[in-house]
Amino acid sequence: MTHSAQKQQPAAWQRRPVACLMSLLMLAPLLAHAETQLTMASWGGAYTRSQILAFVRPYHSQTGIAIDMVDYHGGLDELRNQVRSLNFKWDVIDLELSDALRGCEEGLLERIPVDALTPPPDGDGITEDFITGSLTDCAVGTVVWSTVIAYHREAMGDAVPQTLSDFFDTARFPGPRGLRRSPKANLEWALIADGVAPERVYEVLETGQGLQRALRVLDKIKPELVWWEAGIEAPRLLETGRVVMTSAYNGRIHDAVANRGEPLAIIWDHQVWNIDLLGIPKDNPRQAQALDFIRFATAAEQLAEQARHIPYGPVRRSSLALLAPQLRAGLPTAPDNFANALQIDARWWARHFERINGRFEQWLQQPVGVPRRLPR
Amino acid sequence: MPRETTRALFMGLRAAAMLLFMGKKTTLSRVPATTGWLVLLWMSCPALLFASAESDALRQELERLRQRIDELERRLSVPQDNTVDAREAAAEDVATPPAAEQALDIGGALRFNYVWKDFDDGSETRRGDAGLDLFRINVDGERNNILLSAEYRFYAFMDTIHHGWIGYDFETAGQLQAGITQVPFGLLPYAAHNFWFGIPYYIGLADDYDTGIKYVRDSGPWNLQLAVFKNAEFTDSAELDRYSYDPVTTGAARNEQTNTLHARLVYTARQGGDCTHEFGASALWGQLYNKDTDEDGDYRAAAAHLDSRCGRWNLQLEGGRYEYDPRNPAGVSDDSITFGAFGGVHEVAAEGSFGVANIAYNLPVTLSGVDLVTCYNDFSVLDKTRGGFENSYLNTTGCAVGIGPTFTYIDIIRGKNALFLGDGSLAGDGDNRWATRYNINIGYYW
Repeated sequence: MTHSAQKQQPAAWQRRPVACLMSLLMLAPLLAHAETQLTMASWGGAYTRSQILAFVRPYHSQTGIAIDMVDYHGGLDELRNQVRSLNFKWDVIDLELSDALRGCEEGLLERIPVDALTPPPDGDGITEDFITGSLTDCAVGTVVWSTVIAYHREAMGDAVPQTLSDFFDTARFPGPRGLRRSPKANLEWALIADGVAPERVYEVLETGQGLQRALRVLDKIKPELVWWEAGIEAPRLLETGRVVMTSAYNGRIHDAVANRGEPLAIIWDHQVWNIDLLGIPKDNPRQAQALDFIRFATAAEQLAEQARHIPYGPVRRSSLALLAPQLRAGLPTAPDNFANALQIDARWWARHFERINGRFEQWLQQPVGVPRRLPR
Repeated sequence: MPRETTRALFMGLRAAAMLLFMGKKTTLSRVPATTGWLVLLWMSCPALLFASAESDALRQELERLRQRIDELERRLSVPQDNTVDAREAAAEDVATPPAAEQALDIGGALRFNYVWKDFDDGSETRRGDAGLDLFRINVDGERNNILLSAEYRFYAFMDTIHHGWIGYDFETAGQLQAGITQVPFGLLPYAAHNFWFGIPYYIGLADDYDTGIKYVRDSGPWNLQLAVFKNAEFTDSAELDRYSYDPVTTGAARNEQTNTLHARLVYTARQGGDCTHEFGASALWGQLYNKDTDEDGDYRAAAAHLDSRCGRWNLQLEGGRYEYDPRNPAGVSDDSITFGAFGGVHEVAAEGSFGVANIAYNLPVTLSGVDLVTCYNDFSVLDKTRGGFENSYLNTTGCAVGIGPTFTYIDIIRGKNALFLGDGSLAGDGDNRWATRYNINIGYYW
């Protein structure tokens, strides 16, 4: 560069300072995008917050790799689009089990070898450290959240309900009950309460007779049932005295007790649990980095940390050991709570939901007793 | 603003500010090394800008942008939503948007009726008759606790209002209704399960609608209804095109009910499981104005009832007594009162006792599309006190079937001295014989 050229260059920049700034502003997003090393799709709200605090920020601090969190609402459509077009917006996805299994079958997710994960602190086997069903070919489990029966302590007399059967026992525990307006979990519970072994629930439910059997059990308490749809409604039904017992998400009850001081309690017996898993889109160019992040995020300490920010149970036994006993006791995966938990069969429901929900909705419209007001 | 737009704006502003305020440490992640040289190159730009005459204005603008960046950075760094529903809500199958507030709910029905009368030779020869029963429109609404409910009916032979009232909902303190509203007496809302109803309906003591004010209050297991009715549905007591039966001034004894007081108290007992037992008592007293003598007589009635619901069973019992004390002109019998509705009149014993015994069972239905099958047997009797009149009986056996929006009543109605069954009478001028109607009423309700 010559001396004369050096003299001319500043003159040109000085003549168009505004244009210069505008060009910088236009280029800035490109520059900024280059900073985000990984993008993770998750469910938003307090759940994403717990992930950020438990392993997104720590990973950034440790590696310098930023994780850009984006919200989604489940399903495989977007993942399918990205994988088929090779236009990847997501590098890591938080998946439901049914999506994780189907995504793996469809070749939408990278396989994740077990030995790529962080071993437990005590050095035992990785597989043994994860609860059954939380390790799949293409996704690694993180937390468990569950649907439980909850009750209002003050609505109970001397006897306190302790089992799932107590929910269906309106003679010993009189009063209205709440259930989520969905066949999921309700039908499983009805069969278990009627004596079906938990491991045979879906086999029985698949038959017309089995479905009818479950509905007959629900018939017995149908006049007492109040149906809820959004998770927030369940604790409110208890708090307002509309029901004495209800199904509810464990996190909701925890929230009502811990943050609002409501006298609610959970019956963990036969809780129906769901699991969340992390996966990587197939052929993602940043899969090595994504796998490294998953390895970090699913380490015992990180999952334990997540449980400190949201009342979901870590899928690793070694994570539970890192938690304070009081906190651990309120999590779905605490050994006492998890003893006879039933994992919802997401694949089964994916196959049968439409048929069973149709029958369930029809059943809902059918009063058990003689209607007080027939059309006239 | 969409999240993506906000984020892009944030990124753009942030990158620009980083160029101009490189000395300020931000909490965001570092700029990748590959862009470092570019940043250094661009760093020279602000220096030149500051040297220019416009630098002050730009500096202020950039300061504003920097503050905006800080704000966005703070908002985006960690979600502030502390509720525990995002993950769970996503698992709920379909997020159902709340229904838009609707001021009025408009419904209605179109019904057809088939009837075979064993006491009518023509009906037997034709194997019954079918035709339009009614077309009706319902309007119900609520806004700011102000209520509206009305129903208008078009029959083949008349049209009339069924009920129509406005009200106010005091929430925990009860509800007030004013207009043509259901009379609070005995088993409610109906003293029968079937389409044809029972004897109390034909003597104006069930499913009756009059004009007045009614107060309804629930308090735990108790339900109290108090009402004052100025008169029957219409001010014209000779009007026969009406839905419910009242004394009318068309006939030999021209009486009409006025200024009637009602009280009905109900206690509902829960018996564990799915059994409830409703115990109720009702009473009414009113004036009975005679149009010929221009004098007020009076009338009164009282009843007790049980409505027991246990699982799929329903048992209804009701017993009551009534008495009309008219001021008829000389030569007109006090033994019966002329009632009217549906375009016609009939005589009703002026004093009597009535009884109701209904039982119903709601069948468990597994047939696809069938929502409800309720079968029943409804029995009612009228024991007439004056004039040595024969008792009236009405027994209906049948089933009600609901399939989607359609509802069908299939009834076998047998009666003795009952209305519309041979020459039956609720006073003393009937044929005193049993007669049967086979009735099917099919309706589409919306």
